Amino acid sequence: MNILELKNITKKFPDAQLPAVNDFNLEVKKGEIVALLGESGCGKTTILRMIAGFEIPDTGQIKLNGEVVSGNGIFKEPQKRRVGIVFQDYALFPHKTVWENITFGLFQLSKEVAREKARNIIVLSGLQGLEKRYPHQLSGGQKQRVALARALAPEPELILFDEPFSNIDSMRKHQMREDIQNIIKETDATAIFVTHDTRDVMTIADKVSVLRQGRLMQTETPENIYNFPANAYVADFFGKTNYIKAKVSHDGYDTPMGIIKTSTPLPASIDNVILSIRPEEFTIKTEGHDCFCGSIVKEKFMGEYKELTCKVENPSGEDTEIIIYASPAVECSNEKCYFKPNEGKINILNDD
Amino acid sequence: MNLKPGTSILSLQTHRQLTNPWIWGALLAALVIALPLLVVFSNVLTPGDETWLHILRNLIPTYVLNTLLLMAGVSLFTFIMGVSTAWLVSMYSFPGRKFFSWALIMPIALPAYISGFTWAGILDYTSPVYVFLRNNFGIDTGQYLFFNILSLPGAIIILSLALYPYVFLISRAYFSRQSSTLFEVAASLGKKQSHIFFGVALPMARPAIVAGISLALMEVLNDYGLARYFGVDTFTTGIFTAWFAFSHPQSALKLSAYLMIFVLILIILERTQRGKMRYDMLGSTYRPIKRTMLKKSRGILAMILCMFPFLMGFLIPVIMLIYWSNLTLVNVVDYRFTELLLNSFVLAAIASAVVTAFALFIAFTVRSFPSRFVKFLARVSTLGYAIPGAVVAIGILIPFLWMDSKLITLSSPGVRIALTGTWFALIFAYLVRFMAVGFNSIDSGMERISPSLDEASRSLGLSNMKTLGKINMPLLRGALISAALLVFIDVLKELPLTLILRPFNFDTLAIRAFEFASDERVAEAAPAAMIIIITGMVPVLLLNRLMGRTD
Repeated sequence: MNILELKNITKKFPDAQLPAVNDFNLEVKKGEIVALLGESGCGKTTILRMIAGFEIPDTGQIKLNGEVVSGNGIFKEPQKRRVGIVFQDYALFPHKTVWENITFGLFQLSKEVAREKARNIIVLSGLQGLEKRYPHQLSGGQKQRVALARALAPEPELILFDEPFSNIDSMRKHQMREDIQNIIKETDATAIFVTHDTRDVMTIADKVSVLRQGRLMQTETPENIYNFPANAYVADFFGKTNYIKAKVSHDGYDTPMGIIKTSTPLPASIDNVILSIRPEEFTIKTEGHDCFCGSIVKEKFMGEYKELTCKVENPSGEDTEIIIYASPAVECSNEKCYFKPNEGKINILNDD
Repeated sequence: MNLKPGTSILSLQTHRQLTNPWIWGALLAALVIALPLLVVFSNVLTPGDETWLHILRNLIPTYVLNTLLLMAGVSLFTFIMGVSTAWLVSMYSFPGRKFFSWALIMPIALPAYISGFTWAGILDYTSPVYVFLRNNFGIDTGQYLFFNILSLPGAIIILSLALYPYVFLISRAYFSRQSSTLFEVAASLGKKQSHIFFGVALPMARPAIVAGISLALMEVLNDYGLARYFGVDTFTTGIFTAWFAFSHPQSALKLSAYLMIFVLILIILERTQRGKMRYDMLGSTYRPIKRTMLKKSRGILAMILCMFPFLMGFLIPVIMLIYWSNLTLVNVVDYRFTELLLNSFVLAAIASAVVTAFALFIAFTVRSFPSRFVKFLARVSTLGYAIPGAVVAIGILIPFLWMDSKLITLSSPGVRIALTGTWFALIFAYLVRFMAVGFNSIDSGMERISPSLDEASRSLGLSNMKTLGKINMPLLRGALISAALLVFIDVLKELPLTLILRPFNFDTLAIRAFEFASDERVAEAAPAAMIIIITGMVPVLLLNRLMGRTD
């Protein structure tokens, strides 16, 4: 069952030249944690604000729990949408205590029920003992947990996070991500969060949508989007990769460094494609056939791995440089390196 | 109701605006507030009768000349006094600098008409000052001490002394916000201090200075009390003559329309010159100015320069008023005075509550639904600051008189329902005139509240109204108080509008003070004037405390 459906959403701000969001589509199932990923200004926050009802799409339709909340001449005000938000600046009410902040959205419930709910969420978020404090007496992490508890208390259909980890120092980020993921999963909530940090995505998202200049690039699980990015933009966003020009033929990918043989079925022959192979998806061999051989141009020690840059020469002069992450233990003799791309990790990009 | 996709001609945005009660409310408020202005302008093209032709031929040339001379004179003197003192206070340190940085604002608490009759009293043949000088030093300059202040030059001086703080405040803010690097660069290029002032600082601060002067000029156009007392015939006094002496509403309206042309030219001048010149501090890294220490003789010169406007514009008249109050307090303060006090304060309190409520409503609507249309509505509702009080009064009186004539035919005999001459008309007029005062204060308070607080509240299910009550209002407490206080004081000292619209036999402190003074009983006017001044000092002192914090 889809909690949220966005169909062909477009939004252009009056003074802008390009639309902030251009023909965007997304479906979110109950219990999912979805990430909207992109550089600042890519339209991800605008999408979040349209879901919450703070911006009105120019065209397209938004459905919450099967009901149209925006589109077809209907617009449901934010206060009627039952969508919780955790703002980037937390937006805690400065004149109210932690307890008053958390119970703020529970005004429709009876006193006892509201108290019970607030108590549960306070325990779950680890905020016991802070109930009487004011926001300015809290640390950044505590503020964020109060913001989360406040948004979750009325049990919204959907909870939205705007850059949830951008104000947390990197030492605490890891713990915070885990805490938030646990709280969301324990309360059975459905969540969407906006971020520009791929590590946020990898650790807590079930699904990620990558945006660029208002356009949707790809929606996939973090693992698939990492291994099989739709295009170079998405590939680069998630880390280093090797781009190799190729022709698809029946025995494999015909590249300037030779034919990459593969046993996985290939699409019909295409003339010009770009392959993307992540640096860690190569196996280093000491010697042997069925391998490519390159001379090591550069070697960098990175801690858990070392980064090798290998140059594979081509008789016609079209040399290929391949970056490989190898175990630090690997020793290459005579500055030569024999390597082979891992089966099933060769990805064809859809760039035009 | 579900429309099929594509059947709706209106965008969702427009659709939402059309069904939004807040926006309808703002539209209604803007229309009501714009009503007097529309009334005034609707009459420009109708042909005038004999009386109007008389006014046009015989009086208008004088009005135009006097108004222009007043504006020119006040521009010059407020510029000299305001900019020089602002420059000294923000760029140099000299004995008393800290004191002057707020003392120079004080004249704003002294309305021009009060300062006017006080000075006239000081320079009069019978004034205690003149008597003292004559008897002890043999100084005798004839009927008046030094010169007859009841003249056009006198009016220019008094108005400038009362209004230069506008220029001072706005240019001081500008100078002290400038990065010192700009001035240091000029100095490193070997420029002399005077060159830095005339070549760098002054051209850069021009938009700010012009804004300050145009505020002062709007007050000049608004002034009735001083011009009448000093016998200078201007458009505003002309409106009174047409209304009260000629009993000719049509001419009063036409004069109002003419006066509005001056206002419009002023607004357009200010806007265009500001539009062309927008110097930001962007690009140069901001560093607060390090004040240059002035050496002995120069420091004393700076002190004297700053002393002059403060003494003439505030201290001397206030001491005189205190002296007079002391003499007449026993005679003046009786049960009628208590009634007067009560009238003034209750009226000002109601008006300030109404204005604050409307201003809060408009400011919140703009914040919550910020479309171009809504911003336009807010601009319309705050136009009144530029419209002289007499014009607002005439623009309200004419439609109200018309409505009264309709109401009489409706009401049963013996029961008279009327709008003119009621508190309702007065408060409506104050709303039109002082909306901007309340709005600006609340709006700048709103800007300090993160918009995500409102959004958080709404996403938690609270309606706009509840969000306003539970989030914005508690956080706006300071801004609401200052809005209410500023409006309260403006109403308390307001003269022309109140004179035209007041209920029969209804007096305020301002009116009483003015009438006493007009009857040559200046000393009796002092107690009422002192109450107005003391109340007016409250926001100046508060303002100073606020500025001190950011200093």
